[in-house]
Amino acid sequence: MRPMDSIITTRELRKSFAGRGKRGGRVEAVRGVSIDVARGEVFGFLGPNGAGKTTTLRMLTTLLPIESGTATVAGFDVARRPKQVRTRIGYVSQLGGADELATGRENLILQGRLYGASRAQVAPRAQALVELLDLAEFADRRVATYSGGQRRRLDIALGIVHEPSVIFLDEPTTGLDPQSRANLWDHIRALRERGATVFLTTHYLEEADVLCDRLMIMDHGQIVAEGTPRALKQQVAGDAIVISLRSDDHGADNHGAGGHGAERAAPVLRAEPYVRELTAEDGQVRLYVDDGGTALPQLIRLLDSSGIPIRSISMSEPTLDDVFLRQTGRSLRDEGTAGGEPGSDTGTEPREVAA
Amino acid sequence: MKPVRDIGLLFQRYDIQLLRNPVWLFVGFSTPILYLVLFMPLLKHAGGAVGLSSGQVVNLFLPGILSLLAFASGIGLGFSTIFELKAGVIERFRVTPASRFAILTGPILATMTMMFVFDAVVVAVGFGVGFTVHWAGLAVLAVLLALLMATVAAFSVATALITKDISGFAAIVNGLNLPVLLLAGVLLPISLGPAWMRVIAHFNPLYYLVEASRVLAGGTLAATAVWQAFAVLVPLCAVVLAWATGVFRKAVA
Repeated sequence: MRPMDSIITTRELRKSFAGRGKRGGRVEAVRGVSIDVARGEVFGFLGPNGAGKTTTLRMLTTLLPIESGTATVAGFDVARRPKQVRTRIGYVSQLGGADELATGRENLILQGRLYGASRAQVAPRAQALVELLDLAEFADRRVATYSGGQRRRLDIALGIVHEPSVIFLDEPTTGLDPQSRANLWDHIRALRERGATVFLTTHYLEEADVLCDRLMIMDHGQIVAEGTPRALKQQVAGDAIVISLRSDDHGADNHGAGGHGAERAAPVLRAEPYVRELTAEDGQVRLYVDDGGTALPQLIRLLDSSGIPIRSISMSEPTLDDVFLRQTGRSLRDEGTAGGEPGSDTGTEPREVAA
Repeated sequence: MKPVRDIGLLFQRYDIQLLRNPVWLFVGFSTPILYLVLFMPLLKHAGGAVGLSSGQVVNLFLPGILSLLAFASGIGLGFSTIFELKAGVIERFRVTPASRFAILTGPILATMTMMFVFDAVVVAVGFGVGFTVHWAGLAVLAVLLALLMATVAAFSVATALITKDISGFAAIVNGLNLPVLLLAGVLLPISLGPAWMRVIAHFNPLYYLVEASRVLAGGTLAATAVWQAFAVLVPLCAVVLAWATGVFRKAVA
């Protein structure tokens, strides 16, 4: 990408916070992040909670002072010209922050006026946003009565009422049901079609995959991978095969017993020359091969002759989770609720991954 | 003037929030009335014992209530700041180009307007039970009440932004409440206390307001207590507002 196309540029961005509790010390939340986002793309930050995504976003949106490194957004240096940056960006935090005792439309009009528009200018713009984001049904009701999805759409409308050239969305679909999520994805794509650049953070793999033109995977304050979803997945060459194993003795595979089967299978499979990478957890073995079509029958035969019973076997093209797994040694699916950032989803319990 | 326009917008917005909150309105109106209804009979008795008429008792007591109201409406603002911080409202405003001073003062002025409404109710009820109204004195007192309220409110909001959570903030506020109120002579004049108390009271901004409020409510404008109150509250208000604006600017992690 040529740098002149870039609407967000950061170099070696860093931020640390004073440590909490008795241990003290400083917690490095963002450790040298360099980003180039092209005008008009949907750019994503994928990573588990606590990876530093929100902290980075808050620095780019002038909300948090930059500790070291540089950041330019919409042509202005974030540290030196925060006001210029503010007029050109929209930011929708995880919390939203609409006034509950006001109606959606009242919220929109106030927000527009805070960006300097007159009431006469902002009323038609608010109406246009009501139509764009399908708010008509409830725009004149108090926000306190909205559903999660309705609220999220209003939050986004509030973030773009001044027609910013860059829109920052922090975990836009966290806490939404799948239907509202898909609906919001359509709205976010519509923003791009209107020419805006969208910068979003997410810990949902599907969201990053479906929505983003380009993304960065972040972990522990650092970028661990970067590219289009397709290119990232191609880095994990070949196919992923997941084998669930039955345990010998009980047939039940709650942790201990199931793990037993996987533990036996792992060394056997790892010895095969065509198996590239392998992880074992919870009665499952996950491995990567160049060509699933030829590897699959060999694997089945091998396990059969070793007397390890197979419960199920599946093959898939690599997902972004495989990319994350490869870069960090952990699965993003298991990290969903770890870290303790507000508004994390209520999915699986965080588990330790035996790699 | 952009800050003035922003203050206007955020003033309006906060006013709407207050007026649409029935619980807040009910508590807001009932507290000053409760003071009058529950304290007056006690003071009347005590006052009668030392030969004060009921009108004299209200004259002595009502300015203290107005001062107390100014302090209470100011300190209470921090609680709504914490609520708005948790709800993402503060962040939504901070990411706009709106003036940081306006983000601070809009809600302060809106709360102050409501305070004056409550003050008017207190004065009207007081008038009914014998309070002598001196308009010029009350007008000057209104300026002092506004200064103290703004100072306390800005302190409260900034403290809320720094502590960020309700338990830490409540601990600070409750810890300050009692000594500040007792060392101001709001309900009983500090002149009844021992010398050390009178000395400490001079470090309490509320003390100057309470002293001036009794003089002003009595209709005297040119008194030492009045000048002293202005001399303390004007610079203090400026310093605290500047500090609190800085807290908004610096961002809250």
